[in-house]
Amino acid sequence: MSDSPLSSTPRRQALPVGLAHVHYGVVVRPPFYVWDGEQFESARLEHVDKSEVAALPYRADVVIENNFVGVVADSLEAAYDAAARLHLRWQQPTKVSLVSPLKGIQTPTDALAPQAKGVSSAGAHREASHHYGWPGRMRWGEQPGWVVADYQQNQLNVWGQTTTPNTLKHDLKMLTGLDEDQIALFSSNTEAPLCATGLGRHCGDDAAIDAALLSQILACPVAVWLDERYARDMTALGLAQRMQLSAVVSEEGRIEEYSYRQTLAPSEVAAVGLWLSGRLKLQTSADEPTATASYAFNEPYVFRQETLTAHTGYPAGAPTNPTLLNVQQTFARESFIDEMARESGQDPLDFRLRHLEDKRGIELIESVARQVQWQTPPQQAPRGPSEMLRGRGVAYAQLPDREQRQKSGVRSAWIADIEVNRITGGVRITRLVVGQDAGEYVDTARLQQTLQERVLGEARPLLGHTPAFDQWSDEPNGTVDKKEQERTSLSRLTSPAIEPTRNDQLATTEPASPLKEVDFAPGVAVIANALFDATGVRFRQPPFTANRVRQALQEQVAGDETLSPSPATRRLRRRWFAAAALTTIAGSAAMAWPWKGAIAPVSRPAPTLYSAETIERGRLVAAAGDCAACHTAEGGVENVGGRAFETPFGTLYSTNITPDEATGIGQWSYAAFERAMRHGISRDGSHLYPAFPYTAFAKTSDADLQALYAYLMAQPAVSADTPANALSFPYNLRALMAGWNALYHDPTPFQPDPEQSELYNRGAYLAGGLGHCSACHTPRNAMGAEQSGERYFAGAMVDGWEAPPLNTLSRAPIPWSEHSLYDYLRHGESPLHGVASGPMAPVVAGLGELPEYDVRAIAHYVAAQMGAPAGNSEAELAEAQQRISRTMTSPPGMEQGEQLFAGACASCHVDSGLPSFNRAATSLALNTNLHSERPDNVIQSILGGVHAEHVVGIGAMPGFADSFSNTQVATLAAYLRARFAPDAPSWQQLEQRVAELRQPHHNNTYSTP
Amino acid sequence: MTLKLNVNGQSCELSVAANTSLLDVLRNDLALNGPKYGCGLGECGACSVLVDGKAARACVLPVTAVAGHEVITLEGMARGDRLDPVQQTFIDAQAAQCGYCLNGMIISVRALLNHHPSPTQEQIRAALEHNLCRCGTHLEILEAARQAVLADAAARRETVDE
Repeated sequence: MSDSPLSSTPRRQALPVGLAHVHYGVVVRPPFYVWDGEQFESARLEHVDKSEVAALPYRADVVIENNFVGVVADSLEAAYDAAARLHLRWQQPTKVSLVSPLKGIQTPTDALAPQAKGVSSAGAHREASHHYGWPGRMRWGEQPGWVVADYQQNQLNVWGQTTTPNTLKHDLKMLTGLDEDQIALFSSNTEAPLCATGLGRHCGDDAAIDAALLSQILACPVAVWLDERYARDMTALGLAQRMQLSAVVSEEGRIEEYSYRQTLAPSEVAAVGLWLSGRLKLQTSADEPTATASYAFNEPYVFRQETLTAHTGYPAGAPTNPTLLNVQQTFARESFIDEMARESGQDPLDFRLRHLEDKRGIELIESVARQVQWQTPPQQAPRGPSEMLRGRGVAYAQLPDREQRQKSGVRSAWIADIEVNRITGGVRITRLVVGQDAGEYVDTARLQQTLQERVLGEARPLLGHTPAFDQWSDEPNGTVDKKEQERTSLSRLTSPAIEPTRNDQLATTEPASPLKEVDFAPGVAVIANALFDATGVRFRQPPFTANRVRQALQEQVAGDETLSPSPATRRLRRRWFAAAALTTIAGSAAMAWPWKGAIAPVSRPAPTLYSAETIERGRLVAAAGDCAACHTAEGGVENVGGRAFETPFGTLYSTNITPDEATGIGQWSYAAFERAMRHGISRDGSHLYPAFPYTAFAKTSDADLQALYAYLMAQPAVSADTPANALSFPYNLRALMAGWNALYHDPTPFQPDPEQSELYNRGAYLAGGLGHCSACHTPRNAMGAEQSGERYFAGAMVDGWEAPPLNTLSRAPIPWSEHSLYDYLRHGESPLHGVASGPMAPVVAGLGELPEYDVRAIAHYVAAQMGAPAGNSEAELAEAQQRISRTMTSPPGMEQGEQLFAGACASCHVDSGLPSFNRAATSLALNTNLHSERPDNVIQSILGGVHAEHVVGIGAMPGFADSFSNTQVATLAAYLRARFAPDAPSWQQLEQRVAELRQPHHNNTYSTP
Repeated sequence: MTLKLNVNGQSCELSVAANTSLLDVLRNDLALNGPKYGCGLGECGACSVLVDGKAARACVLPVTAVAGHEVITLEGMARGDRLDPVQQTFIDAQAAQCGYCLNGMIISVRALLNHHPSPTQEQIRAALEHNLCRCGTHLEILEAARQAVLADAAARRETVDE
C-alpha cells in the first residue's frame, strides 16, 4: 500500500508540513443534507456497522459525532477503503418541504429574458421583478490539495487554502472551543499564500473543519484530501444570499420605483462539519426583514422612489463579511439594471448614464465606452466558427471609502467582451476594459498590474472548471484568453472631477493602496451581462461554469422551439441559427425522429466551421470511443472502414466515416449523425447493426456528440467503398433491427448518479457510453443484445478472444485493485496481472490519448463494479510472491509440454536471475488468462503473439502459429495451465479449440498452416 | 513513423513502420550485421544485442521498444582498436565452428559480466542456456566464457589504473 493508487499527479504532491505521524482522514457525508437559507437539515445516522472495518488487516479509526462520520487511517487509500466498508444506516428527514431548499422564496433561475415577462417594446410602462442568488460555497480551485489539521495541547494549527480566513477561524473556534490566539492558519502550498482570492467561502473551509474535528478527537495530525468529493457540499449549501429586485419603468424608459430586498441574513454559511457534528448551536432570529439605517447599500443610481431592505436577523455569533455583501449587491443591481434596460429596449450603457447624477461616474463610464468604441446598437459580431457566440457587457459600481462615505469612494466601470462556445459552454473573456477612478496619487502602472492579476484571479472561480461527467479535463474551458491579457487595459480618468481640491479625502489616502475585493464588485455582473448579450440567457447566480452555461443554452433551444418568434427574439434567433442548415442543436427532442425516413443530404460542412477548441474536444471523444479501432482496416487509412467482423450472424464490415460525400459521411447533417449514434439508423433511414455499438454511444452527451461531429467533419475526406456485408438470412434484413431496438435499445443519454462521486460518474459515462466496455465485456443473449443486471460486465467472447469479467466474477489470481486497473489501462500493463493484448491492446493505445483524469475515472468505475479495493493489501502482494515461487518447477508427467516451454518460452518467461530486456515482467503465475475457465486467450496468444507497438512499454511476443502444430499448441497450453494455475481444473478439448481458433482472423496476422 | 535511436553511441533518425523488428532495422537500415537472424521467435539468441547493458533479442523486439534506450551491437563493443575482452577471448579460445551463434554467445556473456563480474560456473551455464549452437561447440564456448571472466577483470583493473 505504500504506492498510492492515484500515483503520478496531484496525489504525489507532498504534504505541506513536516509533521510526524500524520494520519489521513476521509469523511462520509449523509445521503441527504441541505442548508435552506435559514436552517440546516440532514439525514440522521441511525446505525453504524463497523465489523468489516474492524476485520481489516490495517488500522482504521472510525469517528462518529451525531451525523458526522469520518475514518482515519495510515494512508489515504486505506482510509477510502475503510470508509467504503463502513455500513451506515441513515434515516431521511421527515419534512418533505426540505426537498425544495428555498422555502417560500422564489429561486433565482437563469432565464431567457425576452420570455420572462412577455415582450414589450420601448416606451411602454412596465413592472418587473427578479431574484438573484449567491452560492454558499465556491469551488476551491482547479487542483485538489491537502488540508491538514494538528490539534494538541490547546493549540490548533491548520494548513490549507481559504478565501475567508476570519470566517474559518470563527468556525474553528466554535468547533474546538479554543480562543482566537490558540488557532493558527498556514498555507498548505508553498507557492501560494494562505488566502486565495475568491468571491466567497469555498470548500477548503469545510475540509479544514473536518480535519480539525478528526484531529481533535484522535489527538493526532490529520490530513484530508480536498477533491471532487467536496463538490457535494457546494450543492448542499445552496445559497448564501438571495436578492429580490423590482422596478417600475416609466413610458420614458426611466426607472420610477426601485426596490432592493436582501432576503437572507447577511452571514456566511457555516462549515458542513459543524452542522453535522451538532457543535454549532444556532439561535435563529425570528426577526422579519427590516429596513436598516446602519446597513450600507451603496446605490450609485438615482431613482425617483426607492426602497432598500435587508434581512438583519443575524444568527447569533455568525460572522458577516461586508466586502462580500458589497460584491453580492453590485452583482444583483448591475444585472437587474441590465435586464431592465434590455427589457425596455434600451442600450444598457445609456440606461445607466440616464440614472446617474454623479459627474465623475458619468465621465468614467463614458471614457471606458470610448476606449472600447461602444456602439448603440451593438455592432454585428464578426463571423467566426459557428458555435462561437460573442457578446459584450457593462457594469458599474460606486463603493464607499473606508469611512463608509460613498461620495468620495471608488467608482469602477467595466466593459467585457466574451466568447461563448455553445457546444462546450466554455466562456472566454477576450477583452476587458476597467475604468477605476481611485484618486489623484495612484500609481497607474502598478494599479494596472494588480488589476490584471486580480481580474484573472477573480474570473477563474467564476468561469472555472467544474468537472462534469462529460467534461474533458484538458479542454480550455472558461479561461481568460492568455493572448488577450495584454489587452486588458485600465483607463484612468484625468478630469477636473477628481481634482484634489474637490476630493481632498482621496488626496490624503495613502498612495497606491492595494486593491480590495470590493473593487472587483462589477466583475461578476459584467460577465453575466456579456453572457446575456452573447446568448440571450440571463444568469442570475454565479458561477458561470461551462457546464451551467451549456445546460442553459440547451434549455434555451428546447424552449425556443415552443415559442413563436417575436420581434424581441428575432435578433437572437438569427444569430443562433446562422449555421442551422448544417447543425441541429442538441436537445431538440429525441422523440421527434422520423424513424424510417432519410435525412436530407447536405454538402460537407467547411472544415473551418468549428473552432479548434471544439475539434480538439471531438478528437478526445473519438479517442475515448476508439472509432478508429473498428473503422480502420488492418494496414488501412484511418477511419476509412472495411474492417471485417465475424459475428454469429455473418460477416460485417465497418464503414467509411471520413467526410467523403460519396462514400463516407460527408453528406450527413448533424441530425443524421446524431440519429445514427443514438438510434442506430443510417442517414438514408436504414437500420445499422449493433456491432456498431450505438447502444452504448446513445449515452453520450449532446455536447460530446456535436464535438465528435465537428472533429470527424474536419478530417480529410477519403473516397473508399465499403465491402458488402455477408449476413445470413434473416439477419440480412436491416428492417428487423427496428423490432430489436424496441426490445433491447434504450436511447436515453447518460444520467449521473447523484449519490456517487464525480470521478465515478465520469467513469460510468466513459465506460458505459463512449468507451463501450460492455460491448465486449458483457455477454449477449441469443439475439445479440447485451444482458443486464448480474450479467453486466460478466465477460464474453469477442472475435475469438475472451473479454474477461469486469465484475465480481473476475478470476484474476490476485484480485484487481483500482491501482492495478489504472496501470493496466494507462500503461497497458499491471505488474500483478500482465499486459493488454489481443483486441484490448488497441483500446489501451486509444486511451493513451485521454487525459489522466479520465483513465482514472474508468479505473475507478470498473473497480466499483468488481468491488475492488483502492490498492492491493500486503497479504495479496505476499500471495503473489508465493504463487510465483510455487510455480518455479514443472509438474511431473508433462515432459513434452516442458520441452516445448523450455525451447520456445523460457528465454522470456523464466527468470534466470539475470536482468534481460526481453523478459516478461509479470510471471505467468499471475496471468489472468491462465486462470480463466476458457483457454481461448492463451491459445490466441501462443498462435498470434502479443503485439502492442503503439503502447510503449508492453513487450512483444512472437506468434507461434507457423512453428507449432495444433497438437503442440494444445500440449503447451495444457502444460502452462498445470504449471502456472495448479489450483484450476485442466482445460478440455484443447486441440479442437486450437484448430477452431486457427481460422484466418483479422486480429491475427498469421497464415493457416 | 519517425523514430530516434541510439545505436553504438550514435544517434540516428529513422522512418519505419511501428511494428518493424529491431533486428530488421539494425541489419537492413543501419547495415549492422553482427546480430544474426536465427529463429525469428526469440528462442535461439543469435540476434542478441545489448540494450542498456542487458541482453535483448532483437528479432522479437519492435523497434519502438528501444527508443530512448542505448543499443550496443557486436560492432559497437570494441573500444577504439581494442576489442572487448569477451570478444578477444572468444577469438583466442577459437570458440567458433560455423560462428552463427557467436554474436549471441558474446553478447550474453557480456551481459552476464555486466551484472555478475565474477560468476560461478552455474551462472555462466544459466546465462547461456537459451543460446542455441547447432555445431556442438558448447565446450569451447564455455571455456571462452571462463577466460572472458578473467580477461574482463584484468581489463577493469587496467582501466582503474589508468
